[in-house]
Amino acid sequence: MIFIRLASATLRAQARYRASLLVDALSALAGNGLEFVALALTFDRFGSLAGWSMGQVAFLWGLTEIAFGSMDMLFGGFDPAVFGQHIRRGTLDMYLLRPVNLIAQIFASDIMLRRLGRIAQGALVFAYANHVLALAWTPAKLLYLPVVLVSAVLFYGALFIAGATASFWTVQGLEVVNVFTYGGTALNSYPLPIFDRWLRRFFTFVIPTAVVVYYPALYFFDLPDPLGLPGWVSFLAPAVGLGALGMSLLVFKWGLRHYTSTGA
Amino acid sequence: MTQPIIALENLTKTFRVALKPEGRSLPWARTWKTVTAVDAISLAIGRGEVVGYLGPNGAGKSTTIKMMTGILTPTAGTLRVAGRVPWRERRQHVAGIGVVFGQRNTLWWDLPVQESLDLLRHVYRVPPARFAENLTRFRALLDLDEFRFKPARDLSLGQLMRANLAAALMHDPGLLFLDEPTIGLDVVAKDRIRAFIREINRERGVTVLLTTHDLSDIEQLCERVIVIDHGRTRYDGALSELVERYGGDRALQVDFADDYAEVAVEGATLESREGRRAVFRFGRGVTAAALIGRLSERYTLADLTVREPDIEDTLRRMY
Repeated sequence: MIFIRLASATLRAQARYRASLLVDALSALAGNGLEFVALALTFDRFGSLAGWSMGQVAFLWGLTEIAFGSMDMLFGGFDPAVFGQHIRRGTLDMYLLRPVNLIAQIFASDIMLRRLGRIAQGALVFAYANHVLALAWTPAKLLYLPVVLVSAVLFYGALFIAGATASFWTVQGLEVVNVFTYGGTALNSYPLPIFDRWLRRFFTFVIPTAVVVYYPALYFFDLPDPLGLPGWVSFLAPAVGLGALGMSLLVFKWGLRHYTSTGA
Repeated sequence: MTQPIIALENLTKTFRVALKPEGRSLPWARTWKTVTAVDAISLAIGRGEVVGYLGPNGAGKSTTIKMMTGILTPTAGTLRVAGRVPWRERRQHVAGIGVVFGQRNTLWWDLPVQESLDLLRHVYRVPPARFAENLTRFRALLDLDEFRFKPARDLSLGQLMRANLAAALMHDPGLLFLDEPTIGLDVVAKDRIRAFIREINRERGVTVLLTTHDLSDIEQLCERVIVIDHGRTRYDGALSELVERYGGDRALQVDFADDYAEVAVEGATLESREGRRAVFRFGRGVTAAALIGRLSERYTLADLTVREPDIEDTLRRMY
């Protein structure tokens, strides 16, 4: 399949710079890991965060980091910053000149192996969380965990694609987009109740990042929602992930039509 | 002309542009103005032609090419390339054309050129035997062996252009779009590119549409030129006729054998004078022979040169 060939070309190109790849991955691991250490030190002092233990927050953190890191690796071509450059440098035009599906080409263009550093960091924190929490893993929970991960990857990917779409209109790429992508995921790393009410509502109902990580986490912890939403909200993650991705692709295609009619 | 490979009828493209510089203002907060980049252009290009597409910056050349290659959708008019509507059947359309933009690169930057070409074989589903044949031919014509196993990022500008030309032709397109193919290249590299374009046109009958600011490209490659300005066709015809029709005055440079206080001749105006040398301008109504005759009756002449207006002058007069 042509997608596999294009993707493997991208990987081969990165493999030519092994040392730099390794340094990038390690520094991402250390950098993001340090942030977690800072959080852990806060816990050391205050004991808990809105009634959440260190282990529980580590669970959220680890899950979010694995999902975001994987998304960042697989959806790298849609990273709004990267995609804006595709437009400015004319690479998008080059893709349009090839007889291959455009979205497949963008996916294949940027698979960033160095994101493995961030994924590894998330996995370490997640392993630590499991170690301290000693969760009662039922078969149902074990099955749902990968579903949640994939859903979160798709959801974050949808945010990237929506953000990339904005580049069709504004050449500079709207900084606002980062509020939703990076802001939304940063929010996922902490227990929802610590945030202000309007922020919680926004990220539950409008850009539902809380539904893909926080609510499933409640299910894994066997906790009721302190904010009063029913238990089944924990199982909306796959629908939200898939729905968001589908919508973002539609919006992207609409943006592309705008691009081909304006050459923006 | 039998069935043209490119046919434009009243092709039009308008854009909305922001009046104030974009800055940080939001799209809906800007004031907009409609600009017509391509204004009802009609033309037909036959198979096997090599056509120069000329015009000053901003004349609408790139916009037209982007529509013909399927990157942009037209606002009005019709456009058919090899019988297809490019933007409606993008993938089928681009499979049959080759495109090289002088300032862009289609190769994988970090991979050896040969690997890029192999990838393109899959992208365009070129039969392996045909691919091997083309590769052998292009290795010879473009001297690809000089850099075939180097990554694109290590190539010189001239090598990059040669590699891109090979990449654009591996799938045997019937039509080749070249946007500024010799930009930034030295004389030797330019000559090589031109020789290649001539060769593939002669050998394979590939139709070539070429934009350039280097008029030597045009002189050496194109029999037909299309000149556009402000989105409209100003001229479409033989290159030789362009100069005849729009070229303006010719110049006669005379070196006198003696110092004369005043030099003048009926039918021409004195343009400049320096020492014993004078340059006269004369229009199409006068022949050089008549002028020379009149001059030699009055003065003793040492040497004479007649200069035809060149394309550059001609175009400058047209824009």
